[in-house]
Amino acid sequence: MNAAMEGILKLELPPEAEFLSVAVAAAEAAGRAFGLGEARVPRLALAVEEFFEYLRREARRDEPLGLTLRRLGPAARAEFRFRAEHLDLRALNYAAGVAPGDGGEMGLVLAARFTDRCRLTLLGKDDVLLAAEVDREYPAAEALRETPKLTPPFTLSEAPTSETLRHAAMLAAGRYPARLCPKGFFNPGRLVDMVEAGLYSALAVTDSGGRPAGLLLWRSPGGQGVLFSGPYVLDPERGPEIGRLLAEGFLARVARTKAVCAVSERPTADLPAEYFEPLGSLFFTAGGEVAEQAAFYRSLREDEGAAVWAHPDLASFLEREYDRLAFMRDILSPDPDEGREREHSLLSTELDLRRGLAVLRPLLGGRDLAENLGRHVEALRREGIPDILFYLDMAWSWQAAMTPALLAAGFTPRLVLPHSGVSDEAVFEHDPQPR
Amino acid sequence: MTPSLVDLAPEYVRGFQAYTPSRPDPVLARQYGVTHLHRLNNNENALGPTPASRAVIADFAPPRAAIYPSGDSYLLRQALGRAFGKDPDRFLVGNGSCEVIASVIKAFCGPGDNIVTADKTFAVYEWVADFSGFQARLAPLRDWGFDPEGMLAAADGRTKIFFVCNPNNPTGTWWDEGRMERFLAAVGGRALVVVDEAYREFVDTPGFPDGMDLLERHPNVVVFRTFSKMYGLAALRVGYLCGAPEVVDLIRRTHVVYSVNTLGQEAARAAVEDDGGHMKATREMVAAAREIVRRACVDLGLEHIGGEGNFLMLRTKLPDTLLYRKLMRRGVMVRTMTGFRFPNWIRVTLGLAPVMEEFTAALAEVLRGA
Repeated sequence: MNAAMEGILKLELPPEAEFLSVAVAAAEAAGRAFGLGEARVPRLALAVEEFFEYLRREARRDEPLGLTLRRLGPAARAEFRFRAEHLDLRALNYAAGVAPGDGGEMGLVLAARFTDRCRLTLLGKDDVLLAAEVDREYPAAEALRETPKLTPPFTLSEAPTSETLRHAAMLAAGRYPARLCPKGFFNPGRLVDMVEAGLYSALAVTDSGGRPAGLLLWRSPGGQGVLFSGPYVLDPERGPEIGRLLAEGFLARVARTKAVCAVSERPTADLPAEYFEPLGSLFFTAGGEVAEQAAFYRSLREDEGAAVWAHPDLASFLEREYDRLAFMRDILSPDPDEGREREHSLLSTELDLRRGLAVLRPLLGGRDLAENLGRHVEALRREGIPDILFYLDMAWSWQAAMTPALLAAGFTPRLVLPHSGVSDEAVFEHDPQPR
Repeated sequence: MTPSLVDLAPEYVRGFQAYTPSRPDPVLARQYGVTHLHRLNNNENALGPTPASRAVIADFAPPRAAIYPSGDSYLLRQALGRAFGKDPDRFLVGNGSCEVIASVIKAFCGPGDNIVTADKTFAVYEWVADFSGFQARLAPLRDWGFDPEGMLAAADGRTKIFFVCNPNNPTGTWWDEGRMERFLAAVGGRALVVVDEAYREFVDTPGFPDGMDLLERHPNVVVFRTFSKMYGLAALRVGYLCGAPEVVDLIRRTHVVYSVNTLGQEAARAAVEDDGGHMKATREMVAAAREIVRRACVDLGLEHIGGEGNFLMLRTKLPDTLLYRKLMRRGVMVRTMTGFRFPNWIRVTLGLAPVMEEFTAALAEVLRGA
């Protein structure tokens, strides 16, 4: 069995009520087979139940529903892929169930609440993927707070062992604030599984005795870029040397891949500034205090310029940022009515409950966009999510035309991420009290 | 649902990232808001083609474009045979040396085989192996140069080809005769050794090995050369290889005929037959340019490395890809080195003195403002 086939269960189910139990039973069995504990199996089953119920009512009757259950490193994942030709997609909005008259689709909100990640993706015209993931439970590890005694020379380890990863994660968890640490640093078994599954790539630096001295992680979320976390320097006295080894090693590793750029996800103060471009900052409020997080960027290719769609309300922000960053862009204005052909808009919501962060992305425009944005903010606030970002891909004129509604809903443009989506992305932060 | 057409392609093709060439100069100049663009990115010869090649190009009659070229570059191979004192059948001409790289790999590698080269060198050896389904084993450079011991250690019984770029692009480092001979003795004929001499004509340093002599002593050596660099014919795409008759005979079987256009063949033949002082003038230009850039590096406190070849590599104090954009806004195009696994380095082509002065002034302006 090859790695791609390992832990995949595929079902085609008629959209009939009597097959609900089949779907749920499959989710339960797969959840156990994929290593979910008894306490977490029902979460996957609940997601499948709610998705199936919704699609059974709304999807085409003449096509089976495709359900895929797969092991994805430290998580079990359920995916429904379906055609949405005649489907009223508004119920797939995270906030669909929270406002009167929206059909009371609480099930999908429930599914999002009880799973660790929930994502809606348009794979093509009318080709929709609805996915939920439930994480396996891993034993927590105590963060190690003592500084290790390390001896040079330091060398880059392209494929760190699981023992090195575990040890480095525990040391990093003791040295860096929690918001800069991936979940796997507190559950090192999870980190090892993620690296083994290819969900994260890792580079380590070790000293002459093979002890971990530094770590850098990155992942490829599917766009043109990779997101990196770190560098985590485990001996502060050797910060610049270890940070530079990790940065150079990382850039050399991703330089001849599909990635066009690298963007920081959790940049530490040990990031060597000369290798990256500061894009600006986001402000996170999870935990009760405002934490500024700078965003760093690195092109891996020569930029040849491009054209982007941007509403005039965003143009001055973009012109200033593009000039500062020396990115040459032709800014094209969209038709203000672009994306308003439909009655109902559709947003994808990616939740990171641990970080108290929601990332919204537009999937479809609609005349109800302003109200839909308001509903999302309200629903997320009610769920206790303090930080809400909106990513707008400027490859699409219909997304650019959303700018006035975003500004009116309390979103403020903060960053431009070149090549981060199909084209550059503008990142808006919901900011009820602009700083 | 119908399976995706993408799934029809092999995994090694699906996973490969296609190279994106630079856009045409007028497009880039418009995008970057400049009226001129100095091309210091591709190691082209700023003096252009030789006088004899220029005459051939000027005299090319348009109706001849309707006629197929010689399918195997017959007359050009005759000229190469005379120039090097070898049988013309030992030469194989391709649409640039990139085509002959592909032909060699196709001829000698089968499923499960691998090639060995350096991690920081001309990328096409690695790319062709990757997208053909063969493993490219990469030995890290040592002291900026190819590491013979590292390459030998990376090899195994399935290694079919070693690629040695001599001088190396982009570092300009090179193996002298002794090191080359020791490496060839260690390989011992168990695999092909491609010695890529794309920049050979820029070298006049004693002790630099001549591949055309090596292959007489080592039948497993194949030498690559090109008309794109010293001879200033990059737009016409003509490169060639030379090797032992039985080796070239095998490579010819996987080599596409008619791939080299008539104008390219004739301009290249003219260059081989009549250099017209071009090589000497180019070497003088490169030496003067090297001194201008080297002096600027010293003034700006920049680490730099440049051995042989018409290029020099320098380490910047900011991301090379950012420096590229800032230099482009000043009308200067350099090659970023992140893709060569040298983050924060740029490679600059050594050309005409006034252009090099403009480059160094722009570089200083950007770095002092950074």
